[in-house]
Amino acid sequence: MEFGWTEAQQAVRGKVCSFLDAHLPSRWEQMACLSPGSEAVTNFSKSFCPSLAEAGLLIPHWPAEYGGADASTWEHFIIGEQMWEAGEPRGPQYYNVNWIGPTIMKFGAPEQKELHLNRMRQGDVIWCQGFSEPSGGSDLAALRTRAERKDDRYLINGSKIWTSYARLAEFCFLLARTSSERRAISVFLLPMDRPGITVRPIQSVVGDGDLHEVFFDDVEVHESERLGPEGGGWEVVRYALNFERIGIPRYALALRTLHRSVAALIRDDGFSEAVQGAAASAYAACEAARLLVYEVVDQRARSSPSTGITSMARYAIVTAERGVADFVLDWTPHLFASDEDPMVATHHKRAIAAGIAVGAAEIQLNLIARDMLGLGASRGL
Amino acid sequence: MDFELSSDQKLLLTSLEGLLDPFRSPPIGGHRYVEYSVELQAELIKSGFLDVASESGYGLLDAALLVEEIASCPVSVEVAASTLISPLIGGFGSPIALSWGVDRPARYLKQAKIVCLFRHDGVLVGTPAPDELDPIESVVAYPLATLRAVPSDAVHYTGNIAATIRRRALIGIAAEAAGVMRGALQLTVQYVKDRQQFGHPLGDFQAIQHRLAEDAQLIHACRTLAFRAAYEDDDRHAAVACLYAQEAIRKIIYDCHQFSGAMGLTLEYPLHLWTYRLKYLQGEAGGKARQGQLLAQEVWRPQAAADGRQAYA
Ligand SMILES: Cc1cc2nc3c(=O)[nH]c(=O)nc-3n(C[C@H](O)[C@H](O)[C@H](O)COP(=O)(O)OP(=O)(O)OC[C@H]3O[C@@H](n4cnc5c(N)ncnc54)[C@H](O)[C@@H]3O)c2cc1C
Repeated sequence: MEFGWTEAQQAVRGKVCSFLDAHLPSRWEQMACLSPGSEAVTNFSKSFCPSLAEAGLLIPHWPAEYGGADASTWEHFIIGEQMWEAGEPRGPQYYNVNWIGPTIMKFGAPEQKELHLNRMRQGDVIWCQGFSEPSGGSDLAALRTRAERKDDRYLINGSKIWTSYARLAEFCFLLARTSSERRAISVFLLPMDRPGITVRPIQSVVGDGDLHEVFFDDVEVHESERLGPEGGGWEVVRYALNFERIGIPRYALALRTLHRSVAALIRDDGFSEAVQGAAASAYAACEAARLLVYEVVDQRARSSPSTGITSMARYAIVTAERGVADFVLDWTPHLFASDEDPMVATHHKRAIAAGIAVGAAEIQLNLIARDMLGLGASRGL
Repeated sequence: MDFELSSDQKLLLTSLEGLLDPFRSPPIGGHRYVEYSVELQAELIKSGFLDVASESGYGLLDAALLVEEIASCPVSVEVAASTLISPLIGGFGSPIALSWGVDRPARYLKQAKIVCLFRHDGVLVGTPAPDELDPIESVVAYPLATLRAVPSDAVHYTGNIAATIRRRALIGIAAEAAGVMRGALQLTVQYVKDRQQFGHPLGDFQAIQHRLAEDAQLIHACRTLAFRAAYEDDDRHAAVACLYAQEAIRKIIYDCHQFSGAMGLTLEYPLHLWTYRLKYLQGEAGGKARQGQLLAQEVWRPQAAADGRQAYA
């Protein structure tokens, strides 16, 4: 056990920071505030990611045969940490590099790899993730969207909800039911311009571009657009989620927001002892989340199976997000209620979803109770 | 970053296991508020475990691993100061008592060879004279006493050494609290598996599961933060670890007692041997208010970088 950074890891962090300094426009913070799926950030990502690719910082962790540099999990993670702290200038494209690309590498046919991995490493293709449905939220297996086979094609009917980035996406990583059996689900790599797809944005407090409904009305897909075997969707999803286990390093933006809020208090002579205590508690919660996440990264770097630590890290992240959001509301409410500091607004919009998206906080607690404490399975597992 | 124990660290903990085995279960028929173990204290001194931080190839992190592990047992022995602070003051023997003020209750004063007395102007280190001590009878599961006066042979440490002693005390509290919390939770999880109500083990109820799961997360983070603080040995990490632990303690105590029902309030049932150490640790060294201020001063001194970007070195 040791907690140091290697020189190589520090060099990567330095390189990413310099890259961000050089490539983020002066009004970036105002733009980031619009959310990663907004038109502005999505469009920006299509010029930012190609430059990132040129600097070797888009997909260094991909194997060399797919255009990567076989870089370590840690290097990939450090890039993600700095990007999130900066407000995620890769927009929706973090999906591609983190898990959609690697999942296609594992399950994709040669033509699928050729088409999709090429686009992803160029840094200008937007994907969305079509998992959740009105009937299937935490209980994803209750999803109802059907893909009915007709010879070498399928007809897709149903709907998805909460689909981030859907309006501007070129492709959807779609889950659909290929038989009535509860677990018989398949994955499709569906172009979003297919006839029969309707996307409706949902207005929300989390910013533009993050929530949509997507309707499928006799949408045709060819079997060559299915990823993995028919009915083998869970294995594909499990594999994809294993990449997602590290999740978004949310504490990084939370800490940055805390620093902003404290800086404002210091400026206004308002950093009293009581406030210092509250700021320190929020800071410690972020540090706890950070260390738990690092432990998950370490497990992933060793290719060890996921453990309950993943759920602990996710729960600690939710606590840290809430700690910072509450600090801002308690001590610098004007920063929340105004557009004085766009990063504070950015954080608030993103933090509000932390305990819901990608497995609700309570689901994480169920998993900790079962996997770490050996308590009887509660409903919902 | 490497979260797995090295082979040396594994060896250290395995060799400790044999020594701790007889002390893992609560003393039968103890019915005492405090279970200070003279035998374990002597064994730890004799076997050299308390000198681990000064041994070649080992350091403070290894000491913190020991502190945490030993603290998870239902007995109280002085380990933190002996492993983390002793090397700074010339290793005059063990146990070492830490006192946060003359006339304030402090742990292990009666047993101690040395006392470190923290004051605003530094740390006084001396030999506690038995006739200058008033033992305290209380519900706390540590042996407590007060010091009537500053020891006559006290050496006054100031500056860097005093600051380091203080910092190591915080790291010790964090590591010890993590171990005690872990022991308390382990007992409670076993209890909710065994105890049946409404036709089910208590542990099947989600309301209970969720709180215990939160506790497990807090304790896991406490341990790792304490280990990191020992590894870094700097004020910021020490304050983070100690603050996080002293904040977590209150929830762990409450939940462990709550789910143990009335049984958990008896001396016959050993829960108090963990929770009534935690109650003492919660306010040690000024408690969360003091640690919060220390941390804020470390992080925001002289003031936050205006753009809020962090240093990761
Ligand atoms: C900002 C945002 C972006 C999203 N983007 C996408 C996307 O791009 N693609 C996509 O597919 N999905 C997306 N989602 C959806 C997300 O995956 C779901 O919201 C999530 O799975 C929870 O489902 P639900 O909202 O239907 O909540 P429900 O399943 O209805 O649960 C509501 C609440 O009930 C509690 N709960 C549920 N089950 C249990 C249980 N077993 N035990 C205890 N408590 C329980 C939890 O508190 C939970 O938050 C997004 C969500 C958000 C907020």
